[in-house]
Amino acid sequence: MSDQIIDLQLPLDEKTARSLKLGQMVTVSGMIFTGRSRLHIRAIEENIMPPLDYSKVNCFFHVGPVMKNVNDEWEIVSIEPTSSIRFERYGADVVKKMGLRTLIGKTTMGPRTAQSLKEIGGVYLSKIGLCGNQLVPQVKKVHGVHFLDKLGKTEATWVFEVEKFGPFFVAIDAEGNNYFENLSEDIENGMDKIDKDLGIPSDYTYTEVNPSGCK
Amino acid sequence: MIKIKTIEEAMYKAMRMAATKLPPDVESKLNEAVAEETNPLAKQHLQVSLENARLAGEGNGLVCGDTGFPLYFIKAGTQTAIEGGFGALWKAAENATARCTAEAFLRPTMVDPLTRDNPGDNIGPGMPKVELSFTGQPDGIEIICAPKGGGSEIFGTFYRMLFPSDGKVGIKKFIIDSIKDSCYAGKICPPAIVGVGIGGTADLCMKMAKEAALLRPLGSRNKNKETADLEIELLQASRELGLGPMGSQGINCVMGMHIETAVTHTAALPVAVNAQCLVGRRWKTTISNNNEVAYEGSIDGWKQEVNHV
Repeated sequence: MSDQIIDLQLPLDEKTARSLKLGQMVTVSGMIFTGRSRLHIRAIEENIMPPLDYSKVNCFFHVGPVMKNVNDEWEIVSIEPTSSIRFERYGADVVKKMGLRTLIGKTTMGPRTAQSLKEIGGVYLSKIGLCGNQLVPQVKKVHGVHFLDKLGKTEATWVFEVEKFGPFFVAIDAEGNNYFENLSEDIENGMDKIDKDLGIPSDYTYTEVNPSGCK
Repeated sequence: MIKIKTIEEAMYKAMRMAATKLPPDVESKLNEAVAEETNPLAKQHLQVSLENARLAGEGNGLVCGDTGFPLYFIKAGTQTAIEGGFGALWKAAENATARCTAEAFLRPTMVDPLTRDNPGDNIGPGMPKVELSFTGQPDGIEIICAPKGGGSEIFGTFYRMLFPSDGKVGIKKFIIDSIKDSCYAGKICPPAIVGVGIGGTADLCMKMAKEAALLRPLGSRNKNKETADLEIELLQASRELGLGPMGSQGINCVMGMHIETAVTHTAALPVAVNAQCLVGRRWKTTISNNNEVAYEGSIDGWKQEVNHV
């Protein structure tokens, strides 16, 4: 993993996206938008999307910001990236529909989203530790909010202008490789020894109470 | 007689402290883990999280932006008297939660499960959740306020009805597999405090798991030697997984392994897992009968007095 942090200019272009290696530390600078489950479900099931020019805003930050309204101005209290893997059912379709090249979140995404990022030339960035307070001063401006009345502050889409926002690491590259899947293989390979140490036989199964035919 | 306004104010302040301060036992454990991890990413996950908590403590943000489920665990004495009666505790918890949410110490996160409508104040049927228990102490009340994050609750909850013939081996398999699955890609935000319930009914089993994760001082051992040995054995096994902070390659995916047991049906062996994340948010307030209020991050001595069976 490279220690050097690359600052990515948004909107990210395909060539830069395809040059990024798994584990690379990056920050992003430019325009980003936020959303969670409700954005994913509504975009695909109801064809309702935040009214943005996705050729200019192609970075989707998975987060439910903590926002405070002070004298009619929105202040960010904390913006902690949320678990992206929850969105896997709709992730690939959202990437294609909006033409997204950068996803930022926590954890990872599944094979369908990885495939869509490969096709479009995009990456998934995962957070480092809990970082929601450190990210706040990197947001230079809150440009607006969509669907606030309908969805509330947490699920609404906020549009932020950010500068050297991060760092994050490339957890899915534009070839569809997944940092955590690679790590998971190592862990699975070590499970036999752990089971043995715990006295769990390799052929152990829980008692089956649904005899075949009743399933 | 304890005034209900005193309780409401104490709940508000303790919940606010829980959202903005790292409990001392959790902080020292995370610092130990930083020293122990050798993988740079594993170390960085912890260092960034500690810095994030430091900022929150200084008044810049929250320990974690997902303030999750608002939970209040209350212990009262046998002769404690509360203005308006014990039933008034629920309304006090609602008011404290709404105030914390209005002031952005809690994020509006609680929604209707079917319509997904968000009332904006974290209040609705069942929430905030108030758990009232009684102790052998004569008077006063103690309250632990715990904003329980989504990551650990959503991805770190497992239940299975095993059978006596599945034995201790089945219990161990269920727990180690739960840890491996829930720490994958950092879903429960490791290093986690893994709470385990063994025995009881299905609901008691899960309640024990949750309280083991949230209400036991980090790293404490069960008083029963056989249970304590199981805690030590499973904690050691978790350290061999190759999983570290936030799902990175490392050692510390689990920082606390707390198991609680209850007697159960002779035909049954229920097991539940409920995880708490790396910031282990909770803060305690103690209120005496003459309305003196104290706050502390330590919860030493809490669990021993609660008897499940």
